[in-house]
Amino acid sequence: MGRGAGFVPRNAVTFTQECAIPVERERLWDFLMEVPKVARCVPGLETIEALDASAYQGSLRVQVGPIRLSLQGTMTVEEQDRASWRARMRAEANDRRVGGGIRARVSLTLAPDLGGTRLRIETDLAVLGRIGEFGQPVIKKKADALLEEFAQNLGSKLQQGG
Amino acid sequence: MNAFEYAAPRTLDEALAVLGEHGDEARVIAGGTALVTMMRQRLVSPGYLVSLRGIHGLDRIEAANGDLRIGALVTHREAETSPLVRERLPVLADTFRRVASVRIRNMATVGGALAHADPNQDPPVTLIVLGARLEIRSAGGRRELPVEEFFRDYYESALEPGEVVTGVIVPRLPAASGAAYVKFLPRTADDYATVAVAATVRLEPDGERCRTARVALGSVGVTPIRARAAEALLAGQRLGAELLSAAGEAVEGAVDPLSDHRGSAAYKREMAAVMTGRALTQAWDAARASSRGTR
Repeated sequence: MGRGAGFVPRNAVTFTQECAIPVERERLWDFLMEVPKVARCVPGLETIEALDASAYQGSLRVQVGPIRLSLQGTMTVEEQDRASWRARMRAEANDRRVGGGIRARVSLTLAPDLGGTRLRIETDLAVLGRIGEFGQPVIKKKADALLEEFAQNLGSKLQQGG
Repeated sequence: MNAFEYAAPRTLDEALAVLGEHGDEARVIAGGTALVTMMRQRLVSPGYLVSLRGIHGLDRIEAANGDLRIGALVTHREAETSPLVRERLPVLADTFRRVASVRIRNMATVGGALAHADPNQDPPVTLIVLGARLEIRSAGGRRELPVEEFFRDYYESALEPGEVVTGVIVPRLPAASGAAYVKFLPRTADDYATVAVAATVRLEPDGERCRTARVALGSVGVTPIRARAAEALLAGQRLGAELLSAAGEAVEGAVDPLSDHRGSAAYKREMAAVMTGRALTQAWDAARASSRGTR
């Protein structure tokens, strides 16, 4: 699949999330750009390895109700613009057993905030195949729960001196 | 469907022991209407299935200490047609009658459907307003949990690995009370609700003012939702258009519907208010009739 706008299908869900991370923007930015490190803050992440300077492959376990997904896929950093504190990446992953997968494009923006940084995450996410039929209605809620945990992990990791 | 081991124990203790041994890998199966579908779609692939169907004693409906106890293996159809349920709690028989189609009701069990924790089902909301409790067993013992506290998230319940729902205990309606279940079903008769509302109203001795009310809604969130703010507005009041519209507004604030092919979130939210008004009116009428009967 190419880099064009067609990467995420048209039936994607678009949502914006925000969280406060209690460290200064420079430090958060440097941490976020070290993908294998930051990946360890993602709830359910099992493996991550670099394919080249901007692409990674890994696996993630997610549970939606009785369904346990094991997503295998790749993540590519498409843009890192420190001058405007913006980064963009895309991810695609599949669960071979259940049949189906996800396509996502994620933009991160960092803004200064009282005593720390406000991290804004804009996501276009499509859930495909059987997973989509079951999970589409709760994608947003599941994503909110994952982000909350991710932000907590990130905050505590950075405060430990990450 | 993936391969799995199948156990058909004859006693509950045997079933609980097998579940304790296999933990997460094992799933309980009763009617199979939900689980087999998910297994066919390979959404779930348990390594071990423990069937409850050969276990005696879980398929009874009985009166106990003024409560009604419905065993987990009772089918929806049996609950719907049971003379005991019809006589004691017609609203509950009526709710079971609204589930899917007769073919499904003949297979789907009361305990299995609750354990499935699908937020779009009919019985949970009625059981919640009736103040029903779940009876849960494990190798470690027995516990009871209000149905209201059982649903935790989308298809997620408070059931721990190794635990089995063995029955549901439903108290009688108090005197001068009425109950109603309203299922908004604009598509086909066997569909899930677009919005479902159950309500109970208990009247003051004057036979007009509400003493307490309960309202619960289905298909408008990741779990069944009890509308406590709406209930609080009703206490001490007389039935009227203004009161129903205020209760409807409170319900709109309590629900969190998901947009899907049955309608947008905004549409469902509005319908939740409308259907709440209808359910309360029906429950109030039934309570008045009950109140007149006891005076």
